[in-house]
Amino acid sequence: MSAFVQGVQRRWRRALSGPNRAKSLFVGSALTPLMLYMLFWTLLPAIWAVVLVFFKYSATRSGGSILGLGGDNPYIGLGHFQNMLSDSLEAQKFRISLKNTLIFAFLVLPLNLAITIPLAVAIEAVQQRLKTAFRFVYFLPTLTASVGVAIMWGYLYHPQQGLFNMVLKALGGSPKIWLTDPREALLGVPLAMWAIIFAYLWQDMGYNLIIFIAALQGVPQEFKEAAVVDGANTWQIFWRITLPLLQPTLLFVCVMTMLSSFQVFDIFQIMTGGGPKDYTRVLVLDIYLNAFRFQRMGWAGAVSMILFLIVLVVTVVQMRLLRTRWEY
Amino acid sequence: MGKNRWFMALAVLLILALVACGTKTAEPEATEAPKAEATPPPAEEKVELRFWMHQNPAFIAANEELIRRFQAERPNVTVKLESFEYDLFIQTLQTAMPAGTEADIIEMFGTWVCSYADGGRLAEMPDSVMSRAEAEGLFFAAPLQGYDCSGKLYGLPNEFNIENGAALVNPAMFEGAGLAYPPKWETMGDMLADAQKLTKFDGDVMTVAGFHNVSGDGLAFQLLAGILQRGGDYWKPDGSGLQLNTPEARATLEWMKSLVDEYKVVDPFLFNDDSNWVGDAFFSNQAAIAFIGPWAAAEGLTEYPDMEFDYAAIPNYAGDRHYFAADSGWGKVVSINSQHKELAFEFAKFAAANADNAKTWNVTTGTIPALKSVADDPTLLEELPWIAPDLPILQYGRYVGSLPDRDLFWYDIVYPHVLGVLQDTETIDEALAAIDTEANAMFE
Repeated sequence: MSAFVQGVQRRWRRALSGPNRAKSLFVGSALTPLMLYMLFWTLLPAIWAVVLVFFKYSATRSGGSILGLGGDNPYIGLGHFQNMLSDSLEAQKFRISLKNTLIFAFLVLPLNLAITIPLAVAIEAVQQRLKTAFRFVYFLPTLTASVGVAIMWGYLYHPQQGLFNMVLKALGGSPKIWLTDPREALLGVPLAMWAIIFAYLWQDMGYNLIIFIAALQGVPQEFKEAAVVDGANTWQIFWRITLPLLQPTLLFVCVMTMLSSFQVFDIFQIMTGGGPKDYTRVLVLDIYLNAFRFQRMGWAGAVSMILFLIVLVVTVVQMRLLRTRWEY
Repeated sequence: MGKNRWFMALAVLLILALVACGTKTAEPEATEAPKAEATPPPAEEKVELRFWMHQNPAFIAANEELIRRFQAERPNVTVKLESFEYDLFIQTLQTAMPAGTEADIIEMFGTWVCSYADGGRLAEMPDSVMSRAEAEGLFFAAPLQGYDCSGKLYGLPNEFNIENGAALVNPAMFEGAGLAYPPKWETMGDMLADAQKLTKFDGDVMTVAGFHNVSGDGLAFQLLAGILQRGGDYWKPDGSGLQLNTPEARATLEWMKSLVDEYKVVDPFLFNDDSNWVGDAFFSNQAAIAFIGPWAAAEGLTEYPDMEFDYAAIPNYAGDRHYFAADSGWGKVVSINSQHKELAFEFAKFAAANADNAKTWNVTTGTIPALKSVADDPTLLEELPWIAPDLPILQYGRYVGSLPDRDLFWYDIVYPHVLGVLQDTETIDEALAAIDTEANAMFE
């Protein structure tokens, strides 16, 4: 241990002497608060969540003498993960939530890209003053609090007084129960899930739009001009030049959109609370309900770990599929 | 090697930090009769008690008044009230308790108490403050039993939480439909006949529910009351679990289903907890008769002072007695980590067992009294006229029982399956089988 302490002292002395002293002090003083913040508010809770996974832990029970673990909060090893494969109520809800989360994330991503990329190209093509106005308008929902967005869209979907049903009725259609009818589905996906997806896209797409606009501005003009000289039309330029050059941005957007889609909570909690019939119960909502309503912190921790692993795997796969080995 | 040392140092630091952030271990509490504090504070010593509660303006006002009175009687004691938004309150309790930083006194819902008491989070009430026998003489059994865990008392109730026996009614709608007001229903059939006339449609879309009973709380309370009123019991005879796949439960679900299919007084797609919660529907003139507890009437008076409404008795679902299951009610408990347990319990007793104070609390919050003498007080109805329909049936109430997880049973087991029956996505047989299986899994 003394050798370890001597080693640390030696490193400190080296860092705090000579020409690097001021730089080291600046870096140290700048990073230390952030590192401490990360340590206490990010790393520690994460470690605690990992620990809880192995216990049947509830905050309502005082448990053993070390951090409340053991005793009434017994160690169960991988019991929670085994339970996830069982027919227990919490396991059924977990599997439903997992399925819903995957449906949501894998629908949101392509829809988001299908809207934002063409829109970014269109906005990039208009004159500067209009461009600024469009960017502002489309980015505005991103700045809005999710709770406000959820409440507003909830009103729009209201079966009796909502705007959508008013329009439907005016057009001679029959009104829909957008958020609470388990019988209604479109392409096998419950209507309530579609309703939330569109509300979410409305709020989220501004972020990706801005990123794509910035990326489009970075695409060298010479490539497009060369393509025009070679006789390429607008569609071919977009498909063969612009889109491939957007690949690094596409990777970033895909990863970030997927990450945020897996973690969505508030819009589901407010608009449907997971209903109807759990058709919009997603993993983060399931984690919240188990942790804070049903006092199953250990189980909630285990579900969090599964969510973490899924996000990790999906991110790694995306990075493998979309990575580029070139720069421009 | 150097890297390993850094990792070790980091691990040691993390463990130290975890321990520092972790539980302040509760001192082993005597399991027999609780003892008074080893060193009770002298009368003149300044003592501060912290008191946590959920944010409800009427409840806050009631507790502030009781605190004022308590401090006037005990000038050396300061009770510091801290309130939290409802969801945050539960989360804060669950994070503060393991860390031992919760308040001395906590306003807790009776049906939660045993979960926390059995987990060692709450202090047992000392006999020197009030014995169990004494409490049984003072309080109604249903609310008190929520605070009685394995034969030990862990606090005192202020409220007799009741959802059955009455409903909010909208006089303007009765007048508009040409119905007699106030309603005097002899049978459930009479009430449903009125409800049919009160129901309104715009084309096929129900715009006003004649009788809105589809709520997370309401469906479970109706199911349990229906079972009891039909002579059944939802607890197994040996108390080891629940029996919910019974003829009485089936009859109750059939009756609920008839409200949708036969009487057509509620549309379970448009009127349920997610789409149009019963309280919101009533106070926005979308429900003429709303099945909800009297606490909603008190809230309505505050939130919708210009709206005319009443709280009217509704007939039994079956049988000749209005048997029902009650959910205990809000009351005061004391943390195991409190440094002034006896004093904190003195406050609980002052707030819940003193007739004047208990009445003040009930009048201010608009809730049904847990204290028998307050319920018997003839002046109570002058101040809380809307609770009149509930008072005669309090004697038929029984505590819902010590469920391992009350909220799970209510909101994740009964509500979704009964709603499934009403929405035709589950048969009654499927729903009862699922409710029975899932409810009994809570006991495993």
